[in-house]
Order: sequence, then structure tokens, then C-alpha cells
Amino acid sequence: MSSDLSSSTSGDDPADPNHDSAPKTLEDQFASVALNVPENDAPASQESLNGVANGSLTDNNHRTEIESNERQGTAGGAEERIESNLEVEEVRESVERSVVWTRTISELEVEGPSSPSSSGYAGERGSTSASSGGSGIDGMGEDEIQEVRNDGSIDGVSDSPASWVPGKRHLDEDDASISWRKRKKHFFILSNSGKPIYSRYGDEHKLAGFSATLQAIISFVENGGDRVKLVRAGKHQVVFLVKGPIYLVCISCTEEPYESLRGQLELIYGQMILILTKSVNRCFEKNPKFDMTPLLGGTDVVFSSLIHSFSWDPATFLHAYTCLPLAYATRQAAGAILQDVADSGVLFAILMCKHKVVSLVGAQKASLHPDDMLLLANFVMSSESFRQATLTMLSLMSCFDDNFTSTSESFSPICLPRYNPMAFLYAYVHYFDVDTYLMLLTTSSDAFYHLKDCRIRIEMVLLKSNVLSEVQRSMLDGGMHVEDLPMDPSPRSGYLSPHLGQPRDSPERFRESYVGIGGPAGLWHFIYRSIFLDQYVSSELSPPINGPRQQKRLYRAYQKLYASMHDRGIGPHKTQFRRDENYVLLCWVTPDFELYAAFDPLADKALAIKTCNRVSQWVKDVENEIFLLGASPFSW
Amino acid sequence: MSVRRRTLLKVIVLGDSGYVHKKFSQQYKATIGADFVTKELQIDDKLVTLQIWDTAGQERFQSLGVAFYRGADCCVLVYDVNVMKSFDTLDNWHEEFLKQANPADPRTFPFILLGNKIDVDGGNSRVVSEKKAKEWCASKGNMPYFETSAKEDYNVDAAFFCIAKTALANEREHDM
Repeated sequence: MSSDLSSSTSGDDPADPNHDSAPKTLEDQFASVALNVPENDAPASQESLNGVANGSLTDNNHRTEIESNERQGTAGGAEERIESNLEVEEVRESVERSVVWTRTISELEVEGPSSPSSSGYAGERGSTSASSGGSGIDGMGEDEIQEVRNDGSIDGVSDSPASWVPGKRHLDEDDASISWRKRKKHFFILSNSGKPIYSRYGDEHKLAGFSATLQAIISFVENGGDRVKLVRAGKHQVVFLVKGPIYLVCISCTEEPYESLRGQLELIYGQMILILTKSVNRCFEKNPKFDMTPLLGGTDVVFSSLIHSFSWDPATFLHAYTCLPLAYATRQAAGAILQDVADSGVLFAILMCKHKVVSLVGAQKASLHPDDMLLLANFVMSSESFRQATLTMLSLMSCFDDNFTSTSESFSPICLPRYNPMAFLYAYVHYFDVDTYLMLLTTSSDAFYHLKDCRIRIEMVLLKSNVLSEVQRSMLDGGMHVEDLPMDPSPRSGYLSPHLGQPRDSPERFRESYVGIGGPAGLWHFIYRSIFLDQYVSSELSPPINGPRQQKRLYRAYQKLYASMHDRGIGPHKTQFRRDENYVLLCWVTPDFELYAAFDPLADKALAIKTCNRVSQWVKDVENEIFLLGASPFSW
Repeated sequence: MSVRRRTLLKVIVLGDSGYVHKKFSQQYKATIGADFVTKELQIDDKLVTLQIWDTAGQERFQSLGVAFYRGADCCVLVYDVNVMKSFDTLDNWHEEFLKQANPADPRTFPFILLGNKIDVDGGNSRVVSEKKAKEWCASKGNMPYFETSAKEDYNVDAAFFCIAKTALANEREHDM
């Protein structure tokens, strides 16, 4: 989907003064748009994109207006007519979707069946013979994840839907089941001999024939000296990723961009490497018959939890990690003791609360990729054994010795695919409480007792400096709430941004005359990604973005935005403004940060732009608390 | 990835006589050169899944290439008892498989021969005798032989049961 129509973006103009390290305010970039567009209904002359940045924005908006007006039926006033680029893209997509077996990305013309059913996925075969054991009902209109609606949940307490139950479901299904065919998003891992390794839904062995078909398709194209990357069949995209002897396939009708789906396959592959290392390739070299499933036995939950995170964790597409908001001094105290430990031969020391980093330290020259952190945290959090060790040991120990407070620990070989895909590291994992855990990584397989000593030292310091209780407090308070966005955060005005963790209804807290839910100017949510730090901060979920469904929909919209902003084919963009029936989305990319913001679909454009400037200023004002600053060398 | 230990066997079906299994739907053969079916068997205390790659009756087999044969656990050769040429080409198929699949030990690699379509015309149009077929099998290291009718579903299950057992035995040897 290298859409040249996602063009409400300014071209990257080398002469652009905004290129400076300190970007101009977003108002400046949009200024002329806001002024010119509404007055000008006629198609403007198609000026070249490499004109003045502002000028090209204007032109694009004109063109968009014309194309999208035909689809604009009811909603919206004058502004609505102007900015509706998303709809244009949707038109284009629906055209693409109707083309069956269009070309792959590699421009390959697959000489093959001419109907979608021949792809073997939505085939006619199953429609007659399929019996799904009564599971057809829950296949209807259900999303790929069993999400119990949890709209009434308290916002801000947890990013991840608490209702999600880990583990594999629908084991009774196979490719003949209607319910299986109706699932919106499938993931498969298979070997290059076509033997199934993992399937998100259904029993791998029952899907052996389907798995063979996937290998046959990949091999058939490879025989022609080409590679299949993507097949479109009706609403479905089939995305292929070949990693040596391991094949990964995603079949999805979620309309996520190809780049996003491929990124998800990469993460699934990384998760597999984290468990086994890449040396598993040698097993296939020695014996092509090799069956990998026993090696991955019991890790279903790790994969299903990762796949689930694709719909709620922005880290999966931002390639950045997020921190638990904490007072600067508190994080410093945690960092100091971790650094102390790292100097004694620990490769990485990571203190986390759920998927958020409290503090993180690496040995000299060792750098940890955000994707590795994501996969490691997912592995630890999804494996019951790490957690259960805590509980059983705790209860056991308390029986025998009252002085034993928390003594549980696990030691497990893991591989960090971005750090070194060939080698195992050893992870000492200890849960301080149900959410907060420490991971100490080392290269030495016999470092258990040393790491245990390190942990005891760390624990003492953390308790003494109240880090753990602060972590608990932060979990309850949450981070940035859009409702708290200060009105004019510029330092010139002498106004101080409210610090996080202060009582939320302090008089400082400002509410504009804006009527309705969300923050000022209809701001519903934002994500700010610091490019230099490889960290992001996401505002807490609050109405109307509350509950897993709205969250997933919003993150999918961000993901689409992210993909279009990072599409190499159309070059780096600075700004993008989209309006559709769900949101106004604004994306702003500078050399320092990327800001993704969602507003009420009726939000005023000029106000939205202004609000984005305020958000970025707000983030800068509180960066001491929301980011991990001055961490060990993080260069990769 | 279930906890229970199960075995999956990749079975390649080769030969000039197509349609060896009732379940085959001829979905893909014309386009990618093979059709696939999954068959579950209980052998002793073991649950065995056969992943059957039916490439039989494909003139385009050469285009399948080495990838299709990769990681095969056993090979089913099939001919039509009513067509002499299908029997004559067995040697080619046998060689072709060993060449493409390149198994670690070609002499012990599990093969099985099926004489198919014995139902046709009440057996009156038969041109290859059972004796002749068995002689060929003997010359190939005592390859097991089954006479089948895919149409009547006669002896097919027995044949696949046999191939699964042979492949399992072979696997066990390799494990040791």
C-alpha cells in the first residue's frame, strides 16, 4: 500500500527551515493551510510537491477535497469537506481489494488460480463439508481475540485489557471449520518442509495439510527464482516471511498495512529466536525432517500473548519502549543500584512494572534494542512459571520462616535476537510483587548465586528508597491524562506544567470551555515518541477511548499512520492530518520526536494543531518523570 | 505444540496414476503440482498425523523441484495396474525421488508401492500382474506392496498404516 494518496503531508524539502533541530511550531507548518483552503473551492493548479512546504500542503488538500467530496454524504460542515484524506485512501483500498491475486510486492505475476477460493483459504471446499462442532456461532463477527467487553473499566489503571485470558483457544478447529475460516487474523509458523510449528488457531497437526499448502505456495514461487511477499485475495492479505528454514505466514482481513503485518511476523520470529536461538537452523540443515514442535512445547502462551499485544501495545509498531512515570529522584535511585550491579558483571539489569520500564542499565557498550525488551518482557510475563515460582515459594517459605519475605527466583536461558541471535544469555527473574519484576541478564550459565546476591542488594536499596511503593503509586495514578493538558505551557507565560502524581483535581488543572469528553480541543489521546531516547509515552486511556475495542481501533489507526509516515517509497513526511468518521488524526514528525494525536472527529483543525504544540511542550516539561534519561549508551 | 507427544510424517505420493485417496479434492494439483490431505492414525500408543503430498499423475512434477521433497519421511509410489507404461516409469520415479529428496540413507529410506485401480472393469483390463509387481518390489530392497482401489476405498487405509509404521521404525533407527 505505497499510497501516494496519503498525501496530506508535506514533502521533505531540504530547504525547509523547519528542518532545524528545534522544529517550528506546528501552527507555522499548517498556517497557510488553515488560511487558504476554506476559501478556495476550485481545484488549484497542481503545483509541484517540492515547492514551499506550506504551498504543497495546500495543494494536496485541494486535490483531496475534490476526490473525496463524492463520498461525503452527510456528516460534517465546511471543514469536514476539506480534510478527509483517509477516505480517499479507503476508496483506493477498496479498489485494490476487489482485485484477486494482484501482484506481489516483488512485482511477480503469479500464474495461478483466478479465484480467491483457489487460494485455499476461503475455499469452496469447506462450505459443504465443514463441520465446526458448534463453534460456528462464536466465529461469527467475533474478532480474533476473545475480548470480553470491559467498557466500564476504570480508565488509566491498566493499558492491557484485563479480561484477556492467555493461551490457545479453539483447538478443535481446523481449516475445514467455518469458525476457523472466519477468524480475522491467523498466524502460522512452519518449517521449510511444510511441517507445522505453530498456528494461532486450531490444532497444528490437524492443519498439516494447510501448512503443506503454504510451503507449496512459497516453494512454487521460489522455484521461479522469485519470492512471494504478499497475496491479496478479496478482503484478505496473505503475508509471507521466509527466515532460512522457518516460514512465517499471516492471513488477515483486518486491513492493517502490509508493513505492519510483516513487522508482526518479524516479532513472532524474534520471539521464537528468544526461546531457541537461531542455532535451531542447524537442526534443519542436519535433518530436514526435523520436527521443532517439541522444542517449543508449552510456549503457546508466549506466542498468543505476543499476538494479543499487537492490538494493545504501541511498542509493537513504534519500536520504542515506555517507562512507568516516576519522580526523577526515584528513578535515579533505582538506576544507581542497577548500575552498581551492572558493573559487577551483569550484562543488563532491568526493573520493570508490567510492560513499562522503571529503570534499565546495561554494561559498557551493551545496548538493548526496544524490540528485544518487548519480547523479553512478553516472555517473562506470559510464562506462568516465572510468576508461579513467586507465589508457591512465598507461601512455602512463610510457613517455615517468618523472616523470609520474598525469596522466589527463576533462572532461564533466553536469547536476545537483536543483541546476538546465535547465543543464549541467562536471565535471572525475580518478582517483587505481582507486577514489578527484576531481570538480570548475564552470559554466564553459572551466575545464579551471584545474581541472587545482586538481587538482594537491589531489593534492599529499592525498599529503603521507597522505589517499590512509588511504583505502586504510579500504577494507580497513571501517567499523562489528556484532561490535564495545560492551557499555555510556554515558559514565557510563567505557567508551570503540573507535575505528574499531583492530585489530579488540583486548582492548577485547567479545563477549557470545551464541552464534552476528552481533553481540550477535543483531544482524545496522544502518543509521543522520542527518537533520541527510543522511548514513547502514551496518554492514559479515557473516555471515549476506553475499553479494548476502542483502544485497538485507535492503535490500528495510529499504526496505519505510522506505516504511511515511514513508507520509504514516498519519503519522510513531517505532518499528516486526517479526518474520518472516527477521529481526527494528526501526526507530526520532527528530527527529535514523533507525535500521534487523536481528536474528536469534529475537532477544529487550527485548534487541534495548537493543541499538538501544547502536548509536545507538556511532554518536554515533564520528560524527567516520564522518560528514562541519561541511561547507559543506547546506540544501535 | 501440544504437550502430548505426537508424530507428524510427511508422505510424498509419486507416480503416473493420480487419485490415490478418496479425500483428495484436486484443489491445487493443476496450479502448484500437489494436493494435500491430513490423515490421523493411532499406531500402538502413538498418535501419528500423515501429511500426504499427492503429486501423482503430474507431468509437471519436475517443476516441483527439491522443495517439495524436502523433509519427506516416506514415499508412496503408485501405478495403474491397467496401464503398462505407469509400471515401467516406476524406476524413474524411484530414482527421481532419491535424487531430489536426497535422504541420509537411500537404502533404508521407507518406500511403498501401490498397484491402483484394481476395480476397473472387474479386473479384466489389468495388464500388470501382482507377481510382476512383487518381483519389482523385491529388487528394490523388499519394498512393501499393496493392491488398492482408491475409488472403492479398498486397502488404502492398510497401505497408509503400513507406510506409517515403516516410517516410524525408520525414524526410531535414526534417533538411536
